[in-house]
Amino acid sequence: MMWVWIVLAPILGGLVYGGERVLRARMQRRLGPPILQPFYDMFKLLDKRTLIVHAPHALLAVAHFAVLWFTVAAIFLGWNLLYIIFLHLFAQLLLIVAGYSVRSAYSHVGANRELLMVVAYEPILILVAVGLYLVSGSFEISEILKSGGYLMQLPLLFAALLMIVPIKVKKSPFDVGEAHQEIVGGVEVEYSGVFYEFLYMSRFLEYIFIYSFVYLFGGQSHWLGALLVAGVFLLVNLVDNATARVRPAQMIKIIYTVAMTLAVLNLTGVLL
Amino acid sequence: MDMVLALVLLPIIASFLVLLVPLGRAQYVVSGVVLAMLSGIAFALYTSMGLLTFQLSYTMNLAIIVVDVALLLFFLYQGKLFNHPKVMLLAAIQLVLYGYIESIASEAGSAEIVVDSLSKFMFLIINGVGGIIVLYSVKYMEDEPTSPLKKRLFVGGLLVFLSVMNLIVIANSILLFFFLFEMTTLASYLLIAFRNDEVSRANALKALWMNQIGGVVILLGALVAIIGFKSVMFDTLLQSSGGMVLFAIALLSMAALVKGASIPFEGWLLGAMVAPTPVSAMLHSATMVKIAPYLILKLAPALAVSMVGGLISIIGALVFVAASYLALSRSVLKEILGYSTVALLGLMMALAAIGSEESMNLAMALMLFHALSKALLFLSAGVLERLHHAKDIEDMKGMVTRSPKTVGFILFGFVSLTLPPFGLFMAKLFAISSIASLLKEHPFNLIILLSLIIGSALMVLLYFKVASALLSAPSDVRASEAVTIPSGFYVPLVLLSFLIVTGALGYVMMQHNIFIVLLALPMLLVFALPSLIRRMDRYDRTQPYHCGEKEPFDAALVYYEPSNKVQLLLYWSFGILFVAVAMVGALS
Amino acid sequence: MKFFSSFRKKSPWVLHYNAGSCNGCDIEILASLAPKYDLERFGVINTGNPKQSDIFLVTGPVTYRSRERLVELYSQIPEPKVVVAVGSCTATGGVFRGMYNVEDGIDRYIPVDVYVPGCAASPQLIIDAIVKALEVLEAKSKEIEKPFKLFGAIETIHNKLSRLNMATKVEPHAKD
Repeated sequence: MMWVWIVLAPILGGLVYGGERVLRARMQRRLGPPILQPFYDMFKLLDKRTLIVHAPHALLAVAHFAVLWFTVAAIFLGWNLLYIIFLHLFAQLLLIVAGYSVRSAYSHVGANRELLMVVAYEPILILVAVGLYLVSGSFEISEILKSGGYLMQLPLLFAALLMIVPIKVKKSPFDVGEAHQEIVGGVEVEYSGVFYEFLYMSRFLEYIFIYSFVYLFGGQSHWLGALLVAGVFLLVNLVDNATARVRPAQMIKIIYTVAMTLAVLNLTGVLL
Repeated sequence: MDMVLALVLLPIIASFLVLLVPLGRAQYVVSGVVLAMLSGIAFALYTSMGLLTFQLSYTMNLAIIVVDVALLLFFLYQGKLFNHPKVMLLAAIQLVLYGYIESIASEAGSAEIVVDSLSKFMFLIINGVGGIIVLYSVKYMEDEPTSPLKKRLFVGGLLVFLSVMNLIVIANSILLFFFLFEMTTLASYLLIAFRNDEVSRANALKALWMNQIGGVVILLGALVAIIGFKSVMFDTLLQSSGGMVLFAIALLSMAALVKGASIPFEGWLLGAMVAPTPVSAMLHSATMVKIAPYLILKLAPALAVSMVGGLISIIGALVFVAASYLALSRSVLKEILGYSTVALLGLMMALAAIGSEESMNLAMALMLFHALSKALLFLSAGVLERLHHAKDIEDMKGMVTRSPKTVGFILFGFVSLTLPPFGLFMAKLFAISSIASLLKEHPFNLIILLSLIIGSALMVLLYFKVASALLSAPSDVRASEAVTIPSGFYVPLVLLSFLIVTGALGYVMMQHNIFIVLLALPMLLVFALPSLIRRMDRYDRTQPYHCGEKEPFDAALVYYEPSNKVQLLLYWSFGILFVAVAMVGALS
Repeated sequence: MKFFSSFRKKSPWVLHYNAGSCNGCDIEILASLAPKYDLERFGVINTGNPKQSDIFLVTGPVTYRSRERLVELYSQIPEPKVVVAVGSCTATGGVFRGMYNVEDGIDRYIPVDVYVPGCAASPQLIIDAIVKALEVLEAKSKEIEKPFKLFGAIETIHNKLSRLNMATKVEPHAKD
């Protein structure tokens, strides 16, 4: 039964992404594209003549997508949260190495910024995992979903998680990796056709990845989890429409001073 | 016991052979045979059970005292010769202390040599990795601009060093340990000064006086041990209780901090990078500096539940973060690798000082995998130095077109330090879960957990920033400009890679956990990718995007330089923490 | 495949390039992406990247400095692609026709599919042009489309088709 969800994960993510574009458009008082737009994009991209810079660059994008799909499968199967975070790190590093492997300034700057983003959000994600472990007694997702009370005991940690959701879904104020107006898309700049499709689908999977963390705070109550996801979704899009992008150094400073402090305070509170 | 004796004597015999045998193929044969024999014996010992002890005879003890005094006099002489007051002062202090301790020391039938499971584990690392590095050094020395005699002396010196290392991990007497500690300092000094220019000489003297501080602290520890329990044996020390125990152990741990080049002592390790690459690989990453976590592991039973242990854990963890951060401003590849060695040694010492059985096993796993991966990285850096005369990463841009295999090894080395399923990553992963499980009773471990997490992220940033310089390649329609690696370099690199992979597989299998095995799947997938490269030939190739320009250009490398105030703050705070270890020990 | 090509008109991604224009048409193009005229409801995204776009929206009579970049960008767009020439400058040179520094329109350099008249072209016309361009796009094949001038070579090196030199550089001050 889970396998069906795993196979359909990119499609699910695509619907979420399509819905998000409609939501953002409506917030800006315009109509927005149809919800199935990501799938139209996908079919169109499959129909383009394939242009690549060189073979390893293209193959690393495929590997990035495959490992990310494996990570999402791991989430659905309820594995150890730490393994999932590090599998995700592996997927991200594949993309970063792909970005570095071409002789393109935009690609390199994008990959530099993606590395800084990893330095920013990785510690917070692990602290979230440790926080959930301290309250529930296990790192396994299947165990975490059996007990509850996370939001009551870990409110500041949830706030820290909220601060890194924009980084993962590439929304303002922390979308320095893609930064369309500055670096033309960062790591994605040299991809076209079917290989760009892989990166496009990876985006959907990233959505599933980070919103799963939000969902976990609901614990055994699926309704609370779904409510949290919906709430965070709206909030992230609202913040995206309302804020500008920060510089990478500022992003690290903000995350480390605010989010890290919140997380550490919450954890010490739980321990004492 | 004969096997242990063989481990100590075989390298010395081999060093004589190396001096006599002509340069060329014969040298490779000698080092290859030595590598095989030493690794075989070490492996046989590791799989054997039981504690071995041995007592040195009166003449042997006397001989050791004589050689030790000669060694300290040699240091004093070197200080005088090169006008270095610190070296002279510290050598004099050591002589006085040593003389006093020997005069009041009296042993009654304790074994000075003890071979326990920790020693057997260290044998594997020392002989396996050390042997491969010796094999590499034969090829490395071929192009070194010195006399043939000096080349032979270099390889022979490395072999003698292997023997000293084999001895140091079986020393049970603090005074014997001190003697061998100072012998490794001597090896450091002579090998760093090998190239005999001004910079090498200055850095060798810096290494000398900083390591001598370690020697002084060991002697102070021995003094406290004698005053406290009339014994200088490690096992007696660990079995006793009372106030003086922790003081002696604190002093000995300070020596570990010095030898492991923790901040504020990392200067000697970085200065040592001017030495030939096999020296950097052997002494300053794979074997000699491992004495630091080895010593902490030895003392761990007593450190585990004390304030001293907690302080050492915190220092180690903070060094992990600080050294990873400081490395972001360097551009010489070997210095970057040196800083990351300092960082990982700090992590090993932190895990060892936590003292639970799980964390001690993790520290040992870290030692093994770090030795393998760092040796691979340093040896690859040496290949780049020899074939392309590139020491700085600014000169290594686009190296993947000129030396794809070497860059492949370097990338593999970085990946084996940061990603699943390789051993070092797995050890860090288990460390996170193990520290998390300790958090409820010992909340202070939160500092260690935070440092581990942030330091790992910074290390990923560091390694992949370096990889960025190496990896950028233009379109693959050009002809290959790759230079072939000579087999004298290639074989050690392949051996180390093979050992890393088998070590990773072994470690994963040992966990008896199916999910960890599944964690290895993505890496296998990535390794299967190169077979698809041929299928990509049917796609068009095009230019990278530069807004329509046709000039190719890369972004520059980014360096993150801490300001002077931050650096000063770091050094002062770590210096204070270092002294605090002794004070906390004294107060216990 | 026929199935896939029916999606070309559902997701047109646009590369907007200014080949020396006065910015009037550029402003109108950006206005059509803004909430009032909202091109995004057709799935149009203004990518800045030729490799990810289908429609090449060009404004401006081609100036000396921009002609190489025009052809280079055109060569980096994967087929099937359409070129929409916005504004009268791109068609005939507009008010700048005959000047020493312009080339009187982009159709000397690259094949154009849709012309949009106007100075500046209004957003309604631009939307209409994009819709027409989509009809043209649906019928196109995936054969490589070559520029008329500054065309270098499409060569096969080591069994790989290389478009690296499809657009050449010009000598400074050369007249062609």
